[in-house]
Amino acid sequence: MKRKKLTALMTALAMTTGLLAGCGGSDGKTESAAADTAGTETAADAAKTEEDAAKDDAADTDTEEKDAAASSAAGTGEAVTIWYYWETEGHQVALDQVIQDYNGSQDQYEVTAKYVPFADFKKQLSIGASADELPDIAILDSPDHASYVEMGIFEDLTGKFDVGNYYEGTVNSCTVDGKLYGVPFGVNCLALYYNEDMLTEAGCEVPTTWDELMTTAKALTTDSVSGLALCSVQNEEGTFNFVPWLWSTGATSYDINNENGIRALTYIQDLVNEGVMSKECINWTQGDVMNQFIAGNVAMMENGPWQIPTMQSEAPDLNWKVTLIPKDTEYSSVLGGENYAVINGGNVEGALDFLTYATSEEQVKFMMDKFGYISADKNIAANQFEADSPYQPFVEELNYAMPRGPLAEWPSVSDAISLAFNQVITGTATPQDAAAEAQATIDGIVQ
Amino acid sequence: MNRIRKWFRYDNVGLLFVLPAFLYMILFVGYPIVRNVILSFQDVNAGNLVRGTKNFILFENYLELFKDNVFRTSLGNTLRYTVLCLVFQFLIGFALALFFNQRFALAKPVRGILLVPWMIPITVTALMFKLLFATDIGVINYLLRSLHLIDKNIEWLTTPGTAMFALICANVWIGIPFNMILISTGLTTIPKELYESASIDGANKLQAFLNITLPLLKPTIESVLVLGFIYTFKVYDLVYVMTSGGPVNSTHMLSTYSYKLSFEMFKYSKGSAVANVLLVILLVVGMFYIKITTKGEED
Repeated sequence: MKRKKLTALMTALAMTTGLLAGCGGSDGKTESAAADTAGTETAADAAKTEEDAAKDDAADTDTEEKDAAASSAAGTGEAVTIWYYWETEGHQVALDQVIQDYNGSQDQYEVTAKYVPFADFKKQLSIGASADELPDIAILDSPDHASYVEMGIFEDLTGKFDVGNYYEGTVNSCTVDGKLYGVPFGVNCLALYYNEDMLTEAGCEVPTTWDELMTTAKALTTDSVSGLALCSVQNEEGTFNFVPWLWSTGATSYDINNENGIRALTYIQDLVNEGVMSKECINWTQGDVMNQFIAGNVAMMENGPWQIPTMQSEAPDLNWKVTLIPKDTEYSSVLGGENYAVINGGNVEGALDFLTYATSEEQVKFMMDKFGYISADKNIAANQFEADSPYQPFVEELNYAMPRGPLAEWPSVSDAISLAFNQVITGTATPQDAAAEAQATIDGIVQ
Repeated sequence: MNRIRKWFRYDNVGLLFVLPAFLYMILFVGYPIVRNVILSFQDVNAGNLVRGTKNFILFENYLELFKDNVFRTSLGNTLRYTVLCLVFQFLIGFALALFFNQRFALAKPVRGILLVPWMIPITVTALMFKLLFATDIGVINYLLRSLHLIDKNIEWLTTPGTAMFALICANVWIGIPFNMILISTGLTTIPKELYESASIDGANKLQAFLNITLPLLKPTIESVLVLGFIYTFKVYDLVYVMTSGGPVNSTHMLSTYSYKLSFEMFKYSKGSAVANVLLVILLVVGMFYIKITTKGEED
């Protein structure tokens, strides 16, 4: 009898946790929304907590109100909070340095920054928007900018910043209906890295066209080395890496189901079918691709300039160079990078004050160098690097780089594009069918 | 005074004991669910999340979902994944429980060690299996090649069918200890005397198993299966880390697709509609569970 009760108790215990987890899990979204209403985390010691925040992304909340109150009571100024998603330690340290300098330079505002993992960044902003708990400044991925403008959480900055010298594409990414809703932080674009030793050994020239790239990649491919790799995951990161190939044919992001779009899809499929590009690319982030490259498993890769600091420190002996992405009919690359946005309803004045400081030439130069980014300001970018710097090809590539969107529905368009490329890479659809399907989806979004 | 004292007798005091749990459930489980149901009947996207009117479009989100190929795939995937995982977890877990129920040296410590998969964070397990199933560097392909079972590496995680298989393998590995330990607990509650008298009556092992073990374990088995169903059905992290729903949406589950719709594509209402489909299925299973457990208590 006693035993039976014991079993009943044990199963009941297990059941309670099970059911709670069951209901809770299915509703994770709204639950975390509720949890986050408590407040956004900030803490004056942001630098110290960044790593903790990385581990424990959403849960740490609550402290802002208290800390803000505490710090203003202590006379250190009004709180200004920043959210960003850079996981690279060098990026975090550089941003923190600028913030510390700013806080030291005046008494009115106290800026703190919080790291939100990239995978959670959009979620946190969405949840924050509906729960009215947002930072004062967000440093976000440029293609998402238009969606949040549409959401109505960004302050109109028209006339408040001089972006006349900035690259047109970066300014476009934060402009909606002729109004400026952000300031470009820095720009990057994709280019082709190649392992010079492998090229020399195989007796190849640096490829400039798709045909040359195919020949070179074949020559470089061995049992243990793939000729080429590019991040092909099915999300925005993948789209970022696919569109240069699409655009090089003359196709646009919205017009794929034609000769040009199909040619781009066919080319990528051929790379896989010829064995020069591994199918595993669909599971490789840009960081994974870089790791494969420095490990010597990949001879050429499409990647961005932000990898350079890591590559230099992780593989100082690797002999690599950067060149333009080979072209089909025209050179093409994609514009990446982050924009600052000021949240309306927050501490707008403090945010503007900090941004004015952070976008000054001296600060921009400091951060760009530490980040491995190129300044969004053309004048600064022109003199930012030595002629033989590995960054210089990226400055040249920027002339051919175009932004994604800007369009509030860009995430849906992007999904259609990355799906089409994933279909041809995995061989689940022909380029013709993939193009037609993507076009049908895009036509349903963009009239 | 007397009336108050009277009120506090047996039954009503019971209500007071239940009150904290009840309030907790209303606040942290009830409210989000209700909000989510309302959200799924509206048309909320990036444009009107914060400002503007949220139109009620009733069942349109759900109707759209059932026309959506990816949703149908995710629903099918979630069901197939759950059933296959349950079958293998349960059978292997049961077999191990019976095995470790024998008295032999080290039975208990080894059973303890077998619990490790259950205790490892799922993200870690997922990364581990992602590497095991990797095409060129994966141990599984290496073993299969060494045994000359395959000539060419199998592209486990980049081919739709095999990616699902890899996910199921990973989850079965995680789930076996859970099944084993609950069934082991159940086995210890069966009095040894029953087996003794059965053997005196001349029953063989199989007969004892079919006529003593199985019937007496019935409540435990039911609980294990239903709990396993709930745990497996709401899978998210394993899939997110191992395949993110790919290749080409072939391993999306209801949970991952809901997340993608809501937080990657800003289609909040459609995402919550997917979450509600998941909720309804789990509610049905949960009610079934409550029914069988309360029946057990009345016996």
